[in-house]
Amino acid sequence: MSLWFLLALMTAVAVFAVLWPLGRRTARGGGGRESLVYTDQLAEIDREVASGLISPADGGAARVEIGRRLLAAADAEAGSTAAVRLGWRRAVALVALIGLPLAAGGLYLRLGSPAMPDVPLASRKAASVASASIDQLIGQVQAHLEKNPTDGRGWSVLAPVLVRVGRFDDAAQAYRNAIQYAGDDAARRAGLGEALTGAANGVVTADAKAEFERAVKRDAGEAKANYFLGVAAEQDGRPRDAAAIWRAMLAKAPADAPWRPVVTAALARVDSGKTPVAKSQASPGKGPALADDTIASAKDMSEADRGSMIRGMVARLAARLKQNGDDVDGWLRLVRAYMVLNEPDKSRAARDDARRALGQDEAGLRQLNEGLKALGIDG
Amino acid sequence: MIAEAGHYALVLALGLALIQSVVPMIGARTHDVALMNVARSTALAQLLFVGLSFLALVTLHVTSDFSVTNVYENSHSLKPLIYKITGVWGNHEGSMLLWVSILALFGGLVAVFGGNLPLTLRANALAVQAWVSSAFYLFILLTSNPFLRIANPPLEGRDLNPVLQDPGLAVHPPLLYLGYVGFSISFSFAVAALIEGRIDAAWARWVRPWTLMAWIFLTLGIAMGSYWAYYELGWGGWWFWDPVENASLMPWLAGTALLHSAVVMEKRNALKVWTMLLAILTFSLSLLGTFLVRSGVLTSVHAFATDPTRGVFILLILCLFIGGSLALYAWRASSLKQGGLFAPISREGALVLNNLLLTTACATVFVGTLYPLALEVLTGERISVGAPFFNLTFAPLFVPLLLALPFGPMLAWKRGDMVAAAQRLYAAGIAALVTMAVLWAWTRGGAAFAPLAIGLAVFVIAGSLSDLAERCMLFRVPLSVALRRARGLPRATWGTVFAHAGVGIALIGIVCESTWNTELITTLKPGDVAKVAGYEMKLDDIAQRQGPNFREMVVHFTVSEGGRVIGAMAPSKRNFTTRAASTTEAALMSRGASQLYASLGEPSANGGIAVRIYHKPMVLLIWFGPLLMAFGGFLSLTDRRLRVGAPKPAKASRALQPAE
Amino acid sequence: MTRRQRRLTMIGGALLVLGIAVALVLNALRDSIVFFSTPVMVAEKHIPAGKRFRLGGLVEPGSVVRGEHLKVTFKVSDGSASLPVTYKGILPDLFREGQGVVAEGALDSAGVFEADTVLAKHDETYMPKEVADALKKQGHWKDDYGENAKKAGDEKAAEARQGKSVTQ
Repeated sequence: MSLWFLLALMTAVAVFAVLWPLGRRTARGGGGRESLVYTDQLAEIDREVASGLISPADGGAARVEIGRRLLAAADAEAGSTAAVRLGWRRAVALVALIGLPLAAGGLYLRLGSPAMPDVPLASRKAASVASASIDQLIGQVQAHLEKNPTDGRGWSVLAPVLVRVGRFDDAAQAYRNAIQYAGDDAARRAGLGEALTGAANGVVTADAKAEFERAVKRDAGEAKANYFLGVAAEQDGRPRDAAAIWRAMLAKAPADAPWRPVVTAALARVDSGKTPVAKSQASPGKGPALADDTIASAKDMSEADRGSMIRGMVARLAARLKQNGDDVDGWLRLVRAYMVLNEPDKSRAARDDARRALGQDEAGLRQLNEGLKALGIDG
Repeated sequence: MIAEAGHYALVLALGLALIQSVVPMIGARTHDVALMNVARSTALAQLLFVGLSFLALVTLHVTSDFSVTNVYENSHSLKPLIYKITGVWGNHEGSMLLWVSILALFGGLVAVFGGNLPLTLRANALAVQAWVSSAFYLFILLTSNPFLRIANPPLEGRDLNPVLQDPGLAVHPPLLYLGYVGFSISFSFAVAALIEGRIDAAWARWVRPWTLMAWIFLTLGIAMGSYWAYYELGWGGWWFWDPVENASLMPWLAGTALLHSAVVMEKRNALKVWTMLLAILTFSLSLLGTFLVRSGVLTSVHAFATDPTRGVFILLILCLFIGGSLALYAWRASSLKQGGLFAPISREGALVLNNLLLTTACATVFVGTLYPLALEVLTGERISVGAPFFNLTFAPLFVPLLLALPFGPMLAWKRGDMVAAAQRLYAAGIAALVTMAVLWAWTRGGAAFAPLAIGLAVFVIAGSLSDLAERCMLFRVPLSVALRRARGLPRATWGTVFAHAGVGIALIGIVCESTWNTELITTLKPGDVAKVAGYEMKLDDIAQRQGPNFREMVVHFTVSEGGRVIGAMAPSKRNFTTRAASTTEAALMSRGASQLYASLGEPSANGGIAVRIYHKPMVLLIWFGPLLMAFGGFLSLTDRRLRVGAPKPAKASRALQPAE
Repeated sequence: MTRRQRRLTMIGGALLVLGIAVALVLNALRDSIVFFSTPVMVAEKHIPAGKRFRLGGLVEPGSVVRGEHLKVTFKVSDGSASLPVTYKGILPDLFREGQGVVAEGALDSAGVFEADTVLAKHDETYMPKEVADALKKQGHWKDDYGENAKKAGDEKAAEARQGKSVTQ
């Protein structure tokens, strides 16, 4: 049974509900009458007198009073007559047949999303693990952990995955649980710090720094912690300290350490003293430009540097979006970039451009509006 | 498809409600029976479609369809089934859908069981009912639509607040709404009567069962909510004079007054204008309660101002219906025929006093609830009006009410005899005085107020019983005759006795609990014994336990009285690990009507745990009283006098059954 | 009794009850309402010792000290001022350092707020509305508090979240 058939059926039932009484031949009105209430009251008084609940004298007085009301009601009822107003009936029938379906359909099409299928849990579970997206796998692990919240190993597995997909707050909680139930070690502390850094858009906060320091205390060679301590120093405006930390790392590291290129790049960055893009591992790295941490770290640069870097990137993004406006994420990133740069006018303009570009795309628009709402811009 | 079908059903219900709000009125004006009967079929169809819509939302919650925003925000695939269902009305959108569903349910009930009503009254009343429903359908569809979808469905929902995951939530809001919304019927009847311009004793009889039904549900709903707060919040308090609670108490007070004034109207054709006003006010207060709870205006006027769409919409509905109905009332009331006057000392007089005190008490609650809001809007000053205010205003008004309560049923209609009534209450008075004296002697040096209040409660209970004894002439005729007379009494009389006695019983519970409540807050270690009100509670151990989605610290107590073990209690503290939220689960042990109550605090450094233990004497009576009141109401509702008065419709003419 | 006398008795009785009620309400409004203050308002207004009021703000991190016999001391701060609070008893489930709290009680002679009730009637964002309002009014919301405030576009987002949770 298709949705449209179902909706049509429902409409038919609704229309029928209006038409049915119009078509029925109801000669007599039916319905209750006031006089019946009073006759009943009289009977009740008789019963009460009979059972001695009230004295016969009181009963007589009450009977007279009710009798008066009964007469008045009977008079009023005799005066009223039923009528048949065919004109009105036809008008109502017309409204029911045409107006009701049109109005209901119109309002529904404005509010509803008839094209969207149901997505119950069962159908999502049916999708096989092979084709499951990383989100689904995370969901399954989370479901497992919800039932067994003390499974420290589960938390340890889940946490880095959450970091990779950019759910930093969840990741931080997962790392905390992992530390609580699977034991405190350098790698988990460093991971926690990384998650906290990610949650702060790439800024190594005091909390995050404390975690990295704890990690280094446990294992002086913990690469991630050392790297981020360097980033922290850089963000604090101590590029020389940062360089020292990273140099020490490179000196001690084996030649095939996977993180070598990252650190080398960072070192080159501080050494040359330009475009300090703290492209941390924490960044999801999906967007080609304007990743959150990039902007955040750009905030710490000198005014001139920031200007050149950001303007270039924003211009590139804006140009790309102008050519291909389908990218909702891109639009949101652009809006946010303007907001971070304290240019509310441009951010609003970008929002309007986005709306225009996504004009035909219902789902995209909704996603955009939700994103805008999350950014605090009126959707 | 379920989501979209549910959405469309709601839209269709709106369309039907719009037709229902106009066509029957035209019919009533032009005396066209068919047009008037449209009210009936559309009311039933409306019920069908809202019911479908509600079922659709329940199904979506049960199947965890997170493509629906409402489900995503308030559910979680791991939630136990019962909380998936109750979660439907644990949130704003769903609860509003429940609200209109119940509105439609009452409309449907009037359509089916309103056979004894005159056609025009039924048509007009159903039309007015449809105005209310139309406004709320629009509100839901435009500002609180539960069927909005998410383009990219998330994998997991955000879950329901752990505090709300409780069986109490399953029952409390539906009961409360049945009460709130039930008063819409008396409202619709009153407005319909004002439109027709004809109000007489028969009106009161037609409205009474509907009012009574709403009143029963509201009584149960309030009692249920109070008990839920008592055991779930871990503080042992059962009434906080919180604005949300007051919002439900105000319609209850006005509704109780309405029930009583409708009796006068039915029996004596008097107080008509006043009864109309009460019917309008009662539902207005229900609407106000909905507004207060739903708009966020209570927590802060500022919060309301930051997200005003919903609040302003409800405010508009409020102004439209309250203002509109009161304007209609002001316009038409003067043209209504006034009923006869009566002596102050009479059953009518007593009921007028009842109305006066109940509505005044309601007004003080109204002032206490809205004064902080008004002050904040006007001066920006934030204040809270709490229990002290209500103890100083509400309580003094209830004392004369309770004192007068036993006299009412003893007085005759029209002209009562105060002396005779007082004589019949001799026994009750003596019982009350003896109780007072005994309590006074027993609790020497304690609160002087408590024995007086309990004496008053005993007076109310004994007074109700002597009314019963009087009516079946107990002790004056042989017992068998008295019993036969008792069986012959109308059920409404029995209902009155139960309801009035319930008031006294609740009062005993309230006074005992608040006067002789024993509280002990201390830190205990395993092996320690706490002594509370003659009970010894030995802390056996502190254990950790794993629940379905939480970890739990359970403390086991062995309770003994005079060295004899009488049971065990196990309060706990739950930590919802993944959500970093915790709840306190109190342990209760009933001893007669009294209860021992234990809840946990923080563990201390030296291996102990903070424990809060109460002994609450007679506390269960607080909820037993309202149960008794509701039972009395139910008895009254089954009285055949409320059902007869209409020709028994033949089976065939009832072919159109409610589509529930 | 004549008709007129009856009517007068009725009206007189009604007025009497209403008069009593008005007197009761006015009396109670004078004596039993409780004002809401934040620490900075306490400092500015010089609230006398012994006068009951509600104190709202954030529990200052690191200030909670648990003593003997369930005594707890902590500081409530609103960003520009802070006030020491003592309380004896069990704190509610949602009482946490760095998060919102409303306490009812009075100042003692030493300027310490002695609370007899600590409320934690707030939602999952851990911020009582009145506290959030007061903080926002003073402009401290963004600078010091609220983990969300660190994110870009913070204040409005936080507000939106607040507004939303109110209506639920």
